Amino acid sequence: MEGGDLRMGGVERGRALGVFVDGVEVRAYEGESIAAALFASGHRFTRWTARTGEPRGYFCGMGVCQDCLVTVDGLPNVRACITPVRDGVRVESQRGLGDWRVSP
Amino acid sequence: MSDVACVIVGGGPAGLAAARTAARHGVRVTLVDDNAALGGQYYRQMPPWFRASAGSVLAPESEAGRALIAEVRSLGVELRLGATAWGIFDQRTVAIATPDRTEQISAETLVLAPGAYDRPVPFPGWTLPGVMTAGGAQNLMKGSAVLPGRRVLVAGSGPLLLAVAHALLEAGARVEAVCEAASMRGLWRYAHRMLPHLDIVQQGYRLHREIAGAGVPFLTGHVIRRALGDGAVTGAVVSPCAEDWTPLPGGEQTFDVDALIVGYGFVSSLELSRLAGCEHRWDDDRGGWVAVRGRNMESTVPGVFIAGDGAGVAGSAVALAEGHLAGLTVAARVGRLAAREYSREASRARGRLLHLAGFRRVMDELYRFGPGLAALAEGETVLCRCEEVGHEEALQAVREGAMHVNEVKAWTRIGMGRCQGRMCGPALGQLIARATGRPAAEAGVFSPRPPAKPIPLGALTR
Repeated sequence: MEGGDLRMGGVERGRALGVFVDGVEVRAYEGESIAAALFASGHRFTRWTARTGEPRGYFCGMGVCQDCLVTVDGLPNVRACITPVRDGVRVESQRGLGDWRVSP
Repeated sequence: MSDVACVIVGGGPAGLAAARTAARHGVRVTLVDDNAALGGQYYRQMPPWFRASAGSVLAPESEAGRALIAEVRSLGVELRLGATAWGIFDQRTVAIATPDRTEQISAETLVLAPGAYDRPVPFPGWTLPGVMTAGGAQNLMKGSAVLPGRRVLVAGSGPLLLAVAHALLEAGARVEAVCEAASMRGLWRYAHRMLPHLDIVQQGYRLHREIAGAGVPFLTGHVIRRALGDGAVTGAVVSPCAEDWTPLPGGEQTFDVDALIVGYGFVSSLELSRLAGCEHRWDDDRGGWVAVRGRNMESTVPGVFIAGDGAGVAGSAVALAEGHLAGLTVAARVGRLAAREYSREASRARGRLLHLAGFRRVMDELYRFGPGLAALAEGETVLCRCEEVGHEEALQAVREGAMHVNEVKAWTRIGMGRCQGRMCGPALGQLIARATGRPAAEAGVFSPRPPAKPIPLGALTR
């Protein structure tokens, strides 16, 4: 394993990108899902639930369970498992149903 | 008047095979999938620019899917990737959404190939980060070459456990144990029926031997009992189970883990076929609902075909054959394939399906779903991951007289969340069956509502 993260060794990954997770920059590679980039850098947790505030994370991994929801560049409820990373993208752990930041 | 001759929903083995066959016969096909790339779960591909160095082993099934994906692309199939099919109206009009907009495509023929997902099995701790499905673990490894964890326990049932454990070992993770719920006793009884499928048997045997050779305990007749941890999973407790997978008291073993992978088989994705108005029936052999189809893969709604695991879980080989047969029937239906040729090709495809069915029946018997798993949830165990409805709360509704999943839904909000009841539905059906002593079929299935998957509200306004 390279660099202490969970990426498997023996794979050339191409272009490295910077992704901000709750304001902290982590390394990602073009083509990875947001969930893979989070997992690789040790972020198993993605959100707190609305009712009991439980931590949740990546579960089904195929866009079905809606548990790996994160806020991406201000847009809440994005499924990390099927959304590809982009350079400079801002990923935030989501509280409850998310902050909609509706402009008047 | 239809917009296109054929819309296919789902870009896994079944959808790809249907697209290839229909497009080869000159049918104008549009294929929709909410993933960013083709392949579905089984043929999931790494980004094309990822390069594995010599000696490192990547998923063989990804390799196998590459040619099919390339051919579908070269045949000029119109691809709508990253697009969610969220509704079906007037039987064959498909509503799809991207983050920016929605559109409706009316199709002369519709092939639904939505696939399946890991059967959700509630047990204490199953919502902790680091607990994930076998499919989810495979997607991390196959799609991004990322390990789910460094110390992993794999629990569930079926040959996928071996594939996942093997992939974990190859990638350098430590597998603490593999817990197979089936007892695997009396394997010899199946020997004569497996003879025509020796290649698959040998493959499974090889995986098993290599896993055992790495010193990994392979515990048959064992189920997951609890995930331990505060904020994320740190431990997994397993114990022996009865033939119907009811956990037995005593014999608990605890393993320190940073990932727990759970895979008790699969359930079909029924939302779109139900929205289209297709009939479904309960299948005891698979412990789930399956679509009612004719011999040409056509559902009970004319012009709507269902192929692959989405019609009844049977694996990728069956999905390919069913997709091909659906593609042939589509081509014949829209006038691109003459009756005589269709009849010849279709009967060959059905012969292939008949051959595969023998293997499938053995798998279904060997790894037959055990309803005893319903005993894993207790008290506060979350059943509905979205609305956070617990086991006890749902059970109370049943005690008060709710007999159908839709009644429990109305009383407790179970199944009303973002996943549309995909996660809690199968377990709630089992809970009702267990509490009432009635067959699971009578507990029914949640009514599907559009949007079948959440879409941005803004997309509807454009």
